[in-house]
Amino acid sequence: MSDDTDRNGRVSRRTFIATTGVAGVAGLAGCGGQSGGGGSGGGGGSEGDGGSNPTETDAGGSVETESSDSGGMSTALLNAEGSSTVYPISNTGSSYWNSNAPPSDGEYWGSNSESTVPGWEQLGEPDMLLADYFAQKFGFEPTEQRSSPPFPTTVGLSHSGTGCEAVTEGLVDIGNSSGPITAELDWSEEKAQSTVVDNVVGRDGQPVVVSKDVIDAGVTELTGEQVRAIYQDEITNWSQIEGVDYDQEIYAIGRAEGSGTDTSFRLNMLGGADAAMPGVDTRFGQNQQVAQAVSQNEGAIAYMALAFTSETVVPVAINFEGTVYEPDRDAENTIFDSDYPLNRDLHMYTLIEEDNPNGGGYDAREAAFINMFLNEFGQTVFVEGNNYIPLPTSDLRSMKEKVSAIATEDLIMP
Amino acid sequence: MASATRSERLNAAAGQQVQRVRDFVDDTEPAALIVVTLIAVSLLTAFVGFLAVSNLTVLPFLLFVAATGYGWARHQEETALILTLTMTVSTLLILGLIIVFIFRESIPVIQYETATVFGVRVPGLRMFLQPNWDAVSPPIRYSMVPMIHGTLLVTVIATAVAGPLGVAAALFLSEIAPAVVREFVKPGVEILAGIPSIVYGFIGFTILSPWASDQFQTTGQGSYLFVGIVVGLMALPTVVSVAEDALSSVPESMKSGSLAVGTTDWQTMTSITLPAAFSGVSAAVLLGVGRAIGETMAATVMLRGVPRLTEPLVNVFYGQETLTSLIARNYGEADGLQMDALFVAGVILFITVLVISIGAQYIEWRMRSKLGGEA
Repeated sequence: MSDDTDRNGRVSRRTFIATTGVAGVAGLAGCGGQSGGGGSGGGGGSEGDGGSNPTETDAGGSVETESSDSGGMSTALLNAEGSSTVYPISNTGSSYWNSNAPPSDGEYWGSNSESTVPGWEQLGEPDMLLADYFAQKFGFEPTEQRSSPPFPTTVGLSHSGTGCEAVTEGLVDIGNSSGPITAELDWSEEKAQSTVVDNVVGRDGQPVVVSKDVIDAGVTELTGEQVRAIYQDEITNWSQIEGVDYDQEIYAIGRAEGSGTDTSFRLNMLGGADAAMPGVDTRFGQNQQVAQAVSQNEGAIAYMALAFTSETVVPVAINFEGTVYEPDRDAENTIFDSDYPLNRDLHMYTLIEEDNPNGGGYDAREAAFINMFLNEFGQTVFVEGNNYIPLPTSDLRSMKEKVSAIATEDLIMP
Repeated sequence: MASATRSERLNAAAGQQVQRVRDFVDDTEPAALIVVTLIAVSLLTAFVGFLAVSNLTVLPFLLFVAATGYGWARHQEETALILTLTMTVSTLLILGLIIVFIFRESIPVIQYETATVFGVRVPGLRMFLQPNWDAVSPPIRYSMVPMIHGTLLVTVIATAVAGPLGVAAALFLSEIAPAVVREFVKPGVEILAGIPSIVYGFIGFTILSPWASDQFQTTGQGSYLFVGIVVGLMALPTVVSVAEDALSSVPESMKSGSLAVGTTDWQTMTSITLPAAFSGVSAAVLLGVGRAIGETMAATVMLRGVPRLTEPLVNVFYGQETLTSLIARNYGEADGLQMDALFVAGVILFITVLVISIGAQYIEWRMRSKLGGEA
């Protein structure tokens, strides 16, 4: 029947998502529910970058060779390109970096009488400008001048595959991708590991949330099977769930029919991109609406971006085939993990090069920029702020270990 | 007999128009005539170029602007004439093309939803024979029945709210209230019509719907009842304003005559004013109904967005989807046949609202010819 969708020769996004899903790309949440200009801007972005990047990188390369002799640091433009899904994280990071806000700013960096930037205190309340602080950890000289970072950054918008290609060909410093490079470029795991460093900066996914009364009734964990049964109308009352004594009809909230979020949920939870959802009581297009509806109705269950959870919209642990994924960042298995079936990793690949310090995967600029995302500040502002899922503590630590190889001082791990 | 007279009159009118054009050509100096023709032809060419997505569209358009500028300076009278004429024609043309477009876009899904009745294949019929809408999982069906049901329920409830309230308010303003009150309240009511519908929808979504869900113990929020009430309140200003106009257009002489034979004010209102203005008041209610059918924002945020019939059919405590909210909710994500199905909803809305506004205009025309008299 899905052939009919293609009858007019138009490309059906749903069919496309379904096919790629079968091909093994995990968690196909589209652009995390905020698809928009992403697709349309892609073509232009990659074209533009293709034209300008080689010169930039060449310049960067030559400066680097020269400066490594003199013992200085390359301060050439750091450029990134790729997936529209990773773009919001990467681009917000780049904008913050380029503005190099002083610690008295309060809104973007540091603290003042009105507000404090989340995560700044965990970094030890550094009395330095934003980019200065992260750059000096990798040996750059602070500029102590706002709007003038130690080195500038820019982020181009194209596609995951294009970003992976661009970084391996050395056209850009960082390749943004929402799928693993092994799937994007059809590489073996060994080849990927010997060619690029996989920097995971955040996750895209849709945790399952319930309303407060359901949590109060003792529901803190559901099995994948129970979630499926709820959305397929086999379970309609919370009391039908084993061990729950709460006589309340289930108010099952879904997402806009045929959207990326909807398709990904059907694929990962209901067993197929075109699985039926007869149990859904209402559908909303936006995370805000879902959160509002969950908080003002009893017996509600929904799936939505983590950033919209609150005391009245609570994520629950999900038990998939014996593994319990907890909504707690420090647990052994968490809903922030990449193994959690509704999640996928968001990557920023860097190329392993001879010229890099120790022949590793980073030059100082790449490491400094990526390190900015790997702490409470980066995760809250850039990842959660764009409605993505922050990394759990254990993943954050292992990512941190990768970049700390070329750091000139100890990287504070909050 | 009357129709014969009418067609004769029409013929005569057409003849007069032709004569007027001839006179215009005869009376106008050739230079002005050339400018006027240039304006019309260049605008037409620009329009054709626009439709053909030609890069050269800008040339005839610039010619049009230049010719208009020159004409305005030298032959203002004739230029103004042709400008107003072309603007009117463009308006009609654009609206016409929009109608053609929405019909054309809905063709694929109408073909997909072909049903066979008594051995005859009728395109689009299956959309009205079964109530199942599912755009994702097989069998993929695009039934319009749930949305038509939703629109119908919302409209009936909205009319039940806006009709009595609106007519009563209009009667008070027109017949009972002192002039000072009328002077202030009527413009006030008309300003109410300007409140954006999302404001009503937002109040409905955050306050009314959760409250209703609690009170009626429904599973989750979203009910046709409250969408109907909210939409009814939104249509109220239109109803009050138009009905008041109708009531106050009843000639004073009729009311005075009634009062002179000894009726009370109330008797005059019920037996003279209201019957005399009946068609105008109906037109007011019909306009309100039109507003209720077309209302989108409030319905979209308050309804559940899952197209299915309520059980039983008259159950207004669950609100699924209306024709307008279907379009508003799904246009961003829909593709292929699903997108075409949204156009079908648009076509149904278009036809419904067209019928209603023609009905309202017909009634209004009848009222004028009945009460306007020969004066």
